[in-house]
Amino acid sequence: MLFNSLTFFVFLAVVLALYYSNILNWTNKKRMLLLASYVFYGFWNPPLVILLWISTVVDWTAAKQLFKPDMSAGRRKAWLMLSLCVNLGFLAFFKYGDFLLENFVSLVNVLGMEFQAQPMDIILPMGISFYTFQTMSYTIDVYKREIEPARTFLDFALYVTFFPQLVAGPIVRAKNLITQFYEEKRATAEQFYWGGFLLTLGLFQKVVLADSLLSGTADYVFEQKEVLTTIDAWAGTLAFSGQIFFDFAGYSTCAIGIALMLGIILPDNFRYPYASIGFSDLWRRWHISLSSWLRDYLYIPLGGNRHGITRMYVALMLTMLLGGLWHGAAWTFVIWGALHGLYLVLERIFKKFISIKIGTVTGIALALLTYFLVNISWVFFRAREFSTAKQLLGSMFFMDTDGKELLNYFEIFKVGIIILGLFICHWIMRNTSVKDVAQKQNPLVLGVFWAVMVFLICIAQGTGEQFIYFQF
Amino acid sequence: MNLKKSFLLAISLALIFLAAWEIYLRSTMKSVMVIDDNQHLWAVQRHRVQDLTKDDVILTGSSRVLFNVQLDVWEQKVGRRPLQLANVGSSPLPVFHDLVNNTDFSGTILVGVSPGLFFSTTFPQAMPWEWPQSRVDHYHNRTYAQRSNHWLSMPLQKSFYFISAEEDSGDDSVDLKAIVDRQTWGTRAIDSFPTTGNFGDIEADRNLRMTQLCATDTANARTIKNFWMAIMGGESSRPPDINGTTNFFLQDLEKFTARGGRIILLRSPSTGPIRAKENERLPRTIAWDSLVIKTKAPAYHFEDYPGLSGFDCPEWSHLSGPDADRFTAALVDQMIADGVLQTNK
Repeated sequence: MLFNSLTFFVFLAVVLALYYSNILNWTNKKRMLLLASYVFYGFWNPPLVILLWISTVVDWTAAKQLFKPDMSAGRRKAWLMLSLCVNLGFLAFFKYGDFLLENFVSLVNVLGMEFQAQPMDIILPMGISFYTFQTMSYTIDVYKREIEPARTFLDFALYVTFFPQLVAGPIVRAKNLITQFYEEKRATAEQFYWGGFLLTLGLFQKVVLADSLLSGTADYVFEQKEVLTTIDAWAGTLAFSGQIFFDFAGYSTCAIGIALMLGIILPDNFRYPYASIGFSDLWRRWHISLSSWLRDYLYIPLGGNRHGITRMYVALMLTMLLGGLWHGAAWTFVIWGALHGLYLVLERIFKKFISIKIGTVTGIALALLTYFLVNISWVFFRAREFSTAKQLLGSMFFMDTDGKELLNYFEIFKVGIIILGLFICHWIMRNTSVKDVAQKQNPLVLGVFWAVMVFLICIAQGTGEQFIYFQF
Repeated sequence: MNLKKSFLLAISLALIFLAAWEIYLRSTMKSVMVIDDNQHLWAVQRHRVQDLTKDDVILTGSSRVLFNVQLDVWEQKVGRRPLQLANVGSSPLPVFHDLVNNTDFSGTILVGVSPGLFFSTTFPQAMPWEWPQSRVDHYHNRTYAQRSNHWLSMPLQKSFYFISAEEDSGDDSVDLKAIVDRQTWGTRAIDSFPTTGNFGDIEADRNLRMTQLCATDTANARTIKNFWMAIMGGESSRPPDINGTTNFFLQDLEKFTARGGRIILLRSPSTGPIRAKENERLPRTIAWDSLVIKTKAPAYHFEDYPGLSGFDCPEWSHLSGPDADRFTAALVDQMIADGVLQTNK
């Protein structure tokens, strides 16, 4: 079920009505939320709910066993491995099955053996990368004795399946979410209205900015087989950078808003990333729940910065390579991750030798440089094939002088204005939040802004295009 | 922060904005079309195939079957309403292939033969094939969420003009994306290929009629004529694949007739330069007579029956609503007279 669909609004109305009715006690409200979450997921593909159930049961059981005080270290490790194998096994099969097979075939062919395999054409379960990472974090935290297992199976099942963030995050840690289920939650009136505002803002980002204003340009440019002019190539890449931000941040904003309408608080997932000064800053602002997951469960276990500089760089590169692969089963995503790893390594080397005092001018200059480099990486992220990425990068850097003019002036202007607005907005909002800004506004001004967003969402309606991050 | 105040203001203002937008659209829209002929609408009809009996008829083909065969008239004469599965600008072969291979329907399938589309291609990525195939694929892969979205959207589509986004961001679409996409400045990268705009109004069961504007306004019809000429005269128009398409169709037909199914071939009228172009590129002997002989099916070419000929297509390719009524009545009468169709009345 998509947030930007009529079905979801009917679904949400029913859930809220039941949640705030007096006919259910807290346990039954949680049961209702759990059932609603399965319905939410099952409306896309009912049989794949079974994967959620398996993941839930395995991690619930593993955590219970891991917490037993008399369990030997070996057995604890075995339970942890079981959980990791099941979750990573799901990912490996459903997400990387075809990719692994393709690469295996290529490898044996290179070795001179003739071998062909039929593609498995496996359906990618929506949001599998998100919920598997979420449940794994739970088991690992229990293994490390950083948290206690959930008090009841219901609390844990709801943690795995909570519909606002089930399919595209934020990836919430158990300590931040499960504990919220222990006591009855009701949104205050202000929380409820603010949740509604965030839901509107998220839908506006997704439906109006990403789908209606930017996706067409990005798709048009990236589907070209011909060489383009520099301005067209840049317009397409910038359009994609805006599209993916509005699409994903929009989803997270919706998720946070919907949860808040239920009185549940989810963490921020984006903090104005396109005004980042450097890549360490970027990864503290972009998809925060994933980057902190990768930091805690991959980078630090790989040694982090505890074993010297070389080991740290290796850990950083490995983390970003796997982070790239997390986004999709293709080598273009690996290159995207490698580029970000390289950016992070170079930034650290750079910082060792040069110290820059960040003022307004240097800050904007460095933010623009960061955004420029981010856009280079987006080319690999969006291009389906290396040939497309190579061609587009060639066009962007004046390597092809007689490229095709693809976009009309209005389209170029449209992308330019939106991206400029996006950058300025991120820069201004760098050290604040939507809520802080809204609190300073006259309620009438906020109401007009809210009304314009609702109006544009309604006239944009469209075909309910899927959120980009659902496929990850 | 007084969010309740902001919320109430937002809802009130948004309703005023939407009402103003709706009034503006109603005062300017050329069509009475409120329902979008999209993949969801098609899938609902395709789903009904499972409930059909041997006495039922399914209509397949391209836009000429959609415009020219009027379901109300057919139902009045026969006593059963046919199922409309034709698609604009499409080869009927992917839909026929789906009906033969993925259903156990053994009634009658009327196949519209618009020569330029029927004999166009079997190449999966070619537009006349890809478009109907995408609808077939959508039917088989649609999710419960997509079904319920469509079901919930139908009352809204029927009530409000502003909810009429077309699947292909058509020239008359009033959703934000289509409006923005239509904006151009200067001469850079302007697509000068003519467009048709919407000239048919569709109902929930996909019964389609030509708009009054197209039927009566020659200027409107002229824009559509320009589009046809650009398509048919363009250098990019591919040569037809008569053998490939015929063989593909015959294979499916053999399977369909083996289980008791029957087909009826229908060649609808065209006039003016379109007719001349069709005769030049795909003359009747190649693009009709030969197919009729190979299929041994009941076949109705408009030239062969006085009741089916003599129509004036406003934009050379489709019949106006009243003419479509007369055409359908004559066609059904003829089929009943020939024993091809039984009346249940």
